[in-house]
Amino acid sequence: MPGETIKSMVPITFLYRNRVGQALETYIDGLKDKKILGIKCPACDKVYVPPRTVCGCCHKKLDTYVEVEQQGTLENFTVAHVTIEGGEIKDAEPYVIGMIKLKGADSLLSAVVKGVAVDKVKTGIRVKAVWKEETQGSYSDLAYFEPA
Amino acid sequence: MKRNVAIISVGYNGRFVSKRPDVNIPELIEPAVTNALGKTKLKPDDIQAYVVGNMHTFEGVNGPHLWASDHFNGSGKPVMRVATGGTTGASVFQAAYYHVASGMYDVVMAIGWEKQDEGDSQVGLVGIVLPEAFTLFQFGPEMNTERGGVGGLGGGGSTGGASYQAMSYLSRAHAGIEHIDRIAALMRSNAAKNPYAHLQQPGCTEADIAKTPIITYPLRFGHTCPTSCGAVAMILVSESKAKKFGLTDRVAWVKGLGSGTSDPTTGNFVEGQITDPAEQHMCKVVAKKVYTMAGIKDPTKEIQVAEVYSGFSHQDLMWPERLGLVKEGKSPEMLDKGAFAIGGEMPINPSGGVTSTNAIGASAMVRVSEAALQVMGLAEGGHQIPMKVENAVAHGWGGLFQFVTVTLVGRTPVKS
Repeated sequence: MPGETIKSMVPITFLYRNRVGQALETYIDGLKDKKILGIKCPACDKVYVPPRTVCGCCHKKLDTYVEVEQQGTLENFTVAHVTIEGGEIKDAEPYVIGMIKLKGADSLLSAVVKGVAVDKVKTGIRVKAVWKEETQGSYSDLAYFEPA
Repeated sequence: MKRNVAIISVGYNGRFVSKRPDVNIPELIEPAVTNALGKTKLKPDDIQAYVVGNMHTFEGVNGPHLWASDHFNGSGKPVMRVATGGTTGASVFQAAYYHVASGMYDVVMAIGWEKQDEGDSQVGLVGIVLPEAFTLFQFGPEMNTERGGVGGLGGGGSTGGASYQAMSYLSRAHAGIEHIDRIAALMRSNAAKNPYAHLQQPGCTEADIAKTPIITYPLRFGHTCPTSCGAVAMILVSESKAKKFGLTDRVAWVKGLGSGTSDPTTGNFVEGQITDPAEQHMCKVVAKKVYTMAGIKDPTKEIQVAEVYSGFSHQDLMWPERLGLVKEGKSPEMLDKGAFAIGGEMPINPSGGVTSTNAIGASAMVRVSEAALQVMGLAEGGHQIPMKVENAVAHGWGGLFQFVTVTLVGRTPVKS
């Protein structure tokens, strides 16, 4: 009847294994060694961090990996009041997520920023990478950034 | 007033294979784009717009063009994604054609791909076929395959669904499973002459195919397509640009195209309407329209080669009939006398077809690219047919056989 909940459903489970690609694989391998790798375009000299295999600006294929510095500038930020775990949104103590331009890079890297109060944070501050003590080759090896 | 459109280049990413764990989706696509451009003097900036596509659901990446646009040089340009299930590649191509024929653009690239090692194609297929599955619930089947369910219309995933069509076809054509074995063997041995084909079996015989186990009678494992990873890119230009580029010699003109839709119930289940999945009325209707558009009066004489979309080998017998290339019920006889072979009078799928290579979002477009290469005389590795090709027809189907696309390409443009 209209308005009544329909009880019969069709259950379907999907599983995907999307490869991250050659450049990101190299980047993740670099994290394991506590290195932040970018890739340099031979035409426009831009350095992309994380690396990618094509320069969207000049359509060139990229294969020259370069290590960038682990310090940079906070270019933009937001203060998050939630976390997302397994697709579920949970309340959290407010914390800073920022877009960081590392020295030697032409792109912005997104990361959590600690060590600065949420009501004191501002763009332009210098930040540096903080690593997990034991790295394993994963995005979370680069734990967060803090004021340099 | 529509304008004439020429295909000036075809590029593949390389040989199509079952697994490409060494690349992501954009990295799979990029070499096809580079290869298509590399066969011309065009630079990435010369391409004015892109139409791209792959199957929805299969990789779970529902906006792959957002990810891959830099890799096909699309940033800053119009990019349209088209996804119409099995016919995706043909729809991508046809949409690219409209871009140029309409006068909106002069140089457009069409790209189709699939990277099937990232998901489960049969599961993905369930997502695609679900609208039809819901329609079919009204006719008895359940989702559980062991009870003859929609999940495979009786086991074996899509093969189950195709089996009813195969049974009907064999009955209508007074043919047997040996004819399906025979055409399957022809496709796999054709594939061995196509450097881009996935399942290459040089000299594959009827007996080789007959050794493979039955999935759902009359279809065997050897009658079904593989799941492939691959990409195809094509460049389409207006007649004035073709002349400007000095490219009127080795091009394929798009002379006619069309598509049509029925629905899974009227196609298969409802009494009093067409209840025979081998009837394929829509294919006949669309083919006729396309031939009229192309100025073709007798397709059996004026078309030299066909690339038909056959996920299952009985369809390599059925589609040539429904496309009007062979009299109805005569495909088994034509096959037996060698007419469908690369050197025969009506070669079917010199490329090895879909039963040899199936990167789904690319497949219906590969039918067009292969037809175009035959017209251009550029099919590599020994699968160029010896006859001069004035016209070639490419076909695609999707859904539960109720979507059809037909494209006709030829050596001479239609007078506009």
